[in-house]
Amino acid sequence: MIELIGTLAGEITGEARLIVDIAMFFGLLVIVAMALNFQYGNAGVPNMGCAVQVIVGAFTVSAITMRLAFWIVESAGIKLLPYASDFDWVYNNQINVHVLTNPYLKEHPMVAISLLLFSMAVALVLGALIGWLMSLPAIRLRATYLMIVLITMADTSQIFGRNMPQISGGTLGVFVPNVFAWYPGDRGVITAVITLAIGLVAFFIFRTMLNSPYGRLMRAIRENEVTVASVGKNVVGIRRNILVFASGITALAGVLNAFYFSFVVEANYQRAWWTYWPWLMLILGGPGNNAGTFLGCALVVAMRRIIIYYKWIFDQYFFFPISYFEDILLGTLLIVVMIFRPSGLIPEKLLYIPGVPYGRLVREEVRVDWRKAPRARAAGEKPRWMFWRR
Amino acid sequence: MTPLSLNWLPWKVKLVRKRLIRLAFVRIRSQMMIPPLLMAAIVYACLITILSIGFTLTYLTAKIPNFAHGTYAGIGIYISYTVSKIFGLSPYIGFPIAFLLGGALSVVIFLLVIGVLQRMGGGAIVLTISTLAIQIFLTASLNIYAFWLREVYKTYSMAFMLKEFDFYIGGYPGVFPVTLILCIVTVILLHYMLTRTRIGVAMRATAEDPELASVLGINIYRVQLFSWFLTGGMACLAGAFLPMWFQSSPTTGAMIITSIMAGSLLGGFENVYGAIVGGFGVGFSEILLTYWLQGVWGTWVGEYRPLIPMFFLIAVLLLEPRGLQGVYERLSATRTGERLMGMFSRSRGVS
Repeated sequence: MIELIGTLAGEITGEARLIVDIAMFFGLLVIVAMALNFQYGNAGVPNMGCAVQVIVGAFTVSAITMRLAFWIVESAGIKLLPYASDFDWVYNNQINVHVLTNPYLKEHPMVAISLLLFSMAVALVLGALIGWLMSLPAIRLRATYLMIVLITMADTSQIFGRNMPQISGGTLGVFVPNVFAWYPGDRGVITAVITLAIGLVAFFIFRTMLNSPYGRLMRAIRENEVTVASVGKNVVGIRRNILVFASGITALAGVLNAFYFSFVVEANYQRAWWTYWPWLMLILGGPGNNAGTFLGCALVVAMRRIIIYYKWIFDQYFFFPISYFEDILLGTLLIVVMIFRPSGLIPEKLLYIPGVPYGRLVREEVRVDWRKAPRARAAGEKPRWMFWRR
Repeated sequence: MTPLSLNWLPWKVKLVRKRLIRLAFVRIRSQMMIPPLLMAAIVYACLITILSIGFTLTYLTAKIPNFAHGTYAGIGIYISYTVSKIFGLSPYIGFPIAFLLGGALSVVIFLLVIGVLQRMGGGAIVLTISTLAIQIFLTASLNIYAFWLREVYKTYSMAFMLKEFDFYIGGYPGVFPVTLILCIVTVILLHYMLTRTRIGVAMRATAEDPELASVLGINIYRVQLFSWFLTGGMACLAGAFLPMWFQSSPTTGAMIITSIMAGSLLGGFENVYGAIVGGFGVGFSEILLTYWLQGVWGTWVGEYRPLIPMFFLIAVLLLEPRGLQGVYERLSATRTGERLMGMFSRSRGVS
């Protein structure tokens, strides 16, 4: 079965590689941008620390999953080179991973898949934990304080990664085991497919949450905190929960990014990349709705990957690396969008819950059982029993 | 007596005494000389103070944390580099240019981006994101400029210091007294401006309540322009001093924003005088604490230097989010504090 897929997939070269690359980065960044949309677009929590959560996901793979994989391989009887000390961890890494671990994972697909699932689960937990830690100093205060704390934390996490080789090999970086070694075709394809699938699952989770009463509560907090607090809701607690939940999801992007490159180095997880680009996508597409996030993400990712792919053409005409030109272009784009289309390319629609007669709601005083309203439509009922006059 | 006593003629005694005194003087001076580490700490603290004052001023007038503030300093760094390395002049000639150019750039940013977004009614978060975009833009521009210098003048400007262009006063590198004096003069001028001049009072009024200020006939737009010019100019000026002692690169500006924000937050975002104390404290302790911890734990601590402003930031937010200003207000509410303040204000007159 697997061999059949492999032969069907064929070789990935040239333009096809670009498409796979765009799909992969779209999947990765759409997870981050959707989580950001969940936080900022819907609840008004300005999470400027996306890079921290992504880096936590990547460090989970390099520091925890890799040790687990080594332990499994060693207990299967394969002798690994020593990897206890800092030096050995980095120096013997390539042989340990590529020569000794990957062939074992190729023969044992179940082990590889459970490693992937394990690292995703651990990243979810650790990402949520780091989200909770980040929320501690500033979640009670004004949004600007939260932004300041979160934006400085990205640099901090990079410093830890740079100076502790046991985490991700310091400045040199480490290779991580290829959990898709059992797939005979191209590794990029399967990673992209799995990333897109996880993005889809995340999309449905976020959509369900946003359409639930909790989602309406989030929007209410965004619009007016004081009112929500006055009706007895715990605003600080809800904001913290949102930050924690979305942080866990964001960490998944870090895991998948690490497995796509099969390599983790702290320099890949800069603040400019993983915080600024998701924000750009969100503002470009329009905060508050997922369609806008998808559109913004697709535009920015396609533009950046195409520029990088055809870098050699640009490099003939420019005297500087093209990435700086890209920074200038996208920075200008963000400001232009902010000024000329403040609500993004696809503005947020008013919340419409099927099964609620809005006309009557405005004309007369009606009480609505908001909890049952969306379910009634799904059950195929006519909107009848949920509303009654006071 | 031996002829020796004959040799000790009065004029000779005078000469010897003179020499001895001079020797002692040199000896004492070499012992009394401030160690370079302390000098570095003071220079850095002064620069962070100036930057923190600018950050707080922006926060007061525009109500946003300006993440591009550190990058203004980056522009100052490259103005210094251009003046000294490309034109071969003393970098001290570049400082006024840095002040004017930084102010002009800041005004342009206000006119093109921040002012427009403010008039459109963008919230604090939208404005802050726009400053982040400006930071990315300016950092990329500085990188391109550095590559351009390499292309045209064949100089390496990705990481540099300009210590060799400095002059020396009595064994001290000129940047040390100049920065110290600049910092003190800035603080005094700022105090004078905020309390004694019309534009300063207008700035304070605008910070307190823009609508009320405009009712009283203050042109808020002009006040904002002036404050953006001032903050940009000060930041650029402080940045121009940085390569005289510290290694600089296009990303330095993005790096020191943490220290600036920590200093500003330590002083309390709503108080310029707090930023003076906070900025100096953070800048001073960032270098001295690193050195001290290196002695205690080992040299590897040096890598974790950026964690110190981070530590300040989190500690302030956990303990007293309004910083030193909050501590001051809390203290003055107690009886001991009242007595202390009373003593202080009697000696100083009405504040």
